[in-house]
Amino acid sequence: MVVRPYNDEVKYLEKISHNCWRINKGFQPNMNVDGVFYVNEHLEKLMFDELRNACRPGAVGGFLPGMKQIANVAALPGIVGRSVGLPDVHSGYGFAIGNMAAFDMDDPKSIISPGGVGFDINCGVRLLRTNLFEKDVQPVKEQIAQSLFDHIPVGVGSKGIIPMTAKDLEEALEMGMDWSLREGYVWAEDKEHCEEYGRMLQADPSKVSSRAKKRGLPQLGTLGAGNHYAEIQVVSEIFDKYAAAKMGIEEKGQICVMIHSGSRGFGHQVATDALLAMEKAMKRDNIETNDRQLACARIHSQEGQDYLKAMAAAANFAWVNRSSMTFLTRQAFAKQFQMSADDLDMQVIYDVSHNIAKVEQHLVDGKMKTLLVHRKGSTRAFPPHHPLIPVDYQLTGQPVLIGGTMGTCSYVLTGTEQGMSETFGSTCHGAGRALSRAKSRRNLDFRTVLDQLESQGISIRVASPKLVMEEAPESYKNVTDVVDTCHAAGISKKAIQLKPIAVIKG
Amino acid sequence: MSDEQKSEINQDPEMSDAGDGDGDYDTSSQTPTSSTSGELQIQELPAKKYEYLDHTADVQLHAWGDNLTEAFEQCAMAMFGYMTDIETVDNLGSEQIQAQGHDLLSLLYGFLDEFLFIFSADPFFIARKVTINSFDRENFKIVATGFGETFDLNKHPQGTEVKAITYSNMQVHENEGYAEVFVIIDI
Repeated sequence: MVVRPYNDEVKYLEKISHNCWRINKGFQPNMNVDGVFYVNEHLEKLMFDELRNACRPGAVGGFLPGMKQIANVAALPGIVGRSVGLPDVHSGYGFAIGNMAAFDMDDPKSIISPGGVGFDINCGVRLLRTNLFEKDVQPVKEQIAQSLFDHIPVGVGSKGIIPMTAKDLEEALEMGMDWSLREGYVWAEDKEHCEEYGRMLQADPSKVSSRAKKRGLPQLGTLGAGNHYAEIQVVSEIFDKYAAAKMGIEEKGQICVMIHSGSRGFGHQVATDALLAMEKAMKRDNIETNDRQLACARIHSQEGQDYLKAMAAAANFAWVNRSSMTFLTRQAFAKQFQMSADDLDMQVIYDVSHNIAKVEQHLVDGKMKTLLVHRKGSTRAFPPHHPLIPVDYQLTGQPVLIGGTMGTCSYVLTGTEQGMSETFGSTCHGAGRALSRAKSRRNLDFRTVLDQLESQGISIRVASPKLVMEEAPESYKNVTDVVDTCHAAGISKKAIQLKPIAVIKG
Repeated sequence: MSDEQKSEINQDPEMSDAGDGDGDYDTSSQTPTSSTSGELQIQELPAKKYEYLDHTADVQLHAWGDNLTEAFEQCAMAMFGYMTDIETVDNLGSEQIQAQGHDLLSLLYGFLDEFLFIFSADPFFIARKVTINSFDRENFKIVATGFGETFDLNKHPQGTEVKAITYSNMQVHENEGYAEVFVIIDI
C-alpha cells in the first residue's frame, strides 16, 4: 500500500459533481482506470475520516480504507469504465463493500475475484407484500414477531428445519428456486419476481468442495447472524405511485415483510476454497495485484471458470434459502391470521442479490460489450424496458431493495438509464457501516438500544444481545443519506419507504 | 515489560477492545469438566491474551504470547470468544486439527480456518482451550487440539457468527520472548 501524508493523498481526489468524487490514477500503483465514489456531505466526511485514520504513522493492525480499495480494484487487469464506490461504501475484503467493477470478457487478461463478490455469495434481500394494514397487525405485533422468531432459525449455530438430504442439496444447488418450486416451498409466480428467476444456469455442484456442502447442508432455511434479519414493515411513504402500484403497493400503512440473508456457511466456504485456488493461479499466470486480498484468476482459466460455476451454485443455495424462509414466513402469518398466505396476498415483490458476479451486456465507449460485472455490497438496478427484468416492471424499471439497519427505514428504488451508463446498472445495497463492531460494543449498551427500539414501537426478537450493539442504528451510515445520494445522482430512483414494526435478528 | 504493556505499543487507545464481555473471564475461574473416567476435574482457562480491534465492517483479532505458538493458540480462542462466551463451554471432549501453509501467514489462515470449519459443520465443536501439539516452522505445519464440547444453543449464548478468515492486513510479529498476530475475520 502506498502510504503518504493525508494532504498528499487528497491531491489525487477531485470532486466532479455535487454527489461524486473521482480518484485519479496514481492514488494507488498501476491503476488502469479512474475510481469514483458517490457521496453527499455527511457520507463524504465518513469516507475522508477513514482515509485520514489510515494515514496515521506507525499504526499496528489497521486496515485499508475504502478509497484505497476502490483504487486497487481500478488496477486489476481487464477492468473497463471505472471502479465505482456507491454511497454505502466502506472498507471490506479486497474490494470495498459497496464497490462494483466490470471486466471485459473478450480481454484474455480479464480476471474474476472472489473478493469482488464477498464471502456471503448472493447475500440479498426479498420483499413480500400483504393485503394487511398496520391497524390489522399492531394489536398482534408481539405475537407475530414471536411466531416469526419461532418459525425461522436464527443466529450462530442455528440449524435449518427444512428436510434436506445430501441428494436434495445437490439438486438444490443446480436447480435453485426450481427445486423449491418442485418441493412445494414457493409459488410459481415467486420465480418471476426474482433476479435471474432464482436460478443461475451455469451452476455446477461438482465444482463445489465437500467441505462447502458439509457446511451448507444443516443451514438451509436459516437466517444467520450479523446484519441479516427478517422484518415486518409498514409502507411509510410512496414517492412513485405508478411504480408502487405495479409492485402491489396501493397506499401507506400496507404491511410488507423483508428478508435479508445469503448463502450461509455454504457460500462462505465456496469463497474460501476459491481464494486458496486462485492464490496458486496468480503465481502461475504472473498476475500481480496491489493487495493479497485481491486474489483472482483469469476469467477463462480453469480456476476462473470453476469459481463461476461454484459461485452460481452458492447463489442458487441462497435463493433456496430465502425461498425456504418465505415459506416459513407465510406459514407464520397464515397461522397468526387464520387465513391462507394466498388470501393474505403474500406475493414476492422482488428478490435482489447484492453480492454476486454476472455476465452482462453493456455499452462501453459506444460499443456493446460482454462484461463480467462484480457487485459487492451493490445491487443490480436495470432501467425500464431492459430484457432481463420481469414483464410487470418493464415500464417502471427493476425494483431495487435497500435494507435499512435495525430500527431504521428501508427503501424500494427503481433502476434508471443514467445508472445503466454510469454504474453498469448498479446502485447501493443498504446503509453501510460507519462504526466498527468492537467500538459499537464498547460505546453502546444493549438494553439502551432495545429500549430505544421499544420507544419507537418496534418489537424485536434477537438471538444474541451482543449483536444488538453491533447492529444498532448508530453503528451504520444513515440509509436515507445513502438512498438520497443515489436518487440525486440519478443512478436509481426512490419509489417506496418502509419502516419496521417488528425485527427478527440473529 | 508485561505482555499487556507490550500489546499497547503503537495502539491507539480508541482502537482497542480488550474486554467487552465476550470471552472475558477471570483467569482464576475454574470450571468442572468431565474426565474420561467420568469424574469431575478442574480445567483452568489460560490467561487471556487477546483483544478485538476496530474495523468498519468486520472484526480484527489481536492476540499475543511469549512465543508464536501461544499467540496462535490465543488467536483461535479469540475467534471462539467472539462466537460465544467461552466461560460457558465445558471441557467434555477434544478435536484435533491439522493445518499446512507455504508461509506463516497462510499457516495462521489454515489453522484458524480448520477450527472454524469444525465449528461450522459436524461436529459443531466449540473450544474452551486450544493447544498446539506441534509447530513445524520449516514445513509450515501445525497439529493442534481444541478442548471443549459440541455447540449447544440451549447452553451457549449466541455471539456473532464468523463467516470466514481473511488475509486482510494479516500480520505476524515475532521478537525475543514476545509474539503477536493480527487477523481480520469476516463477520
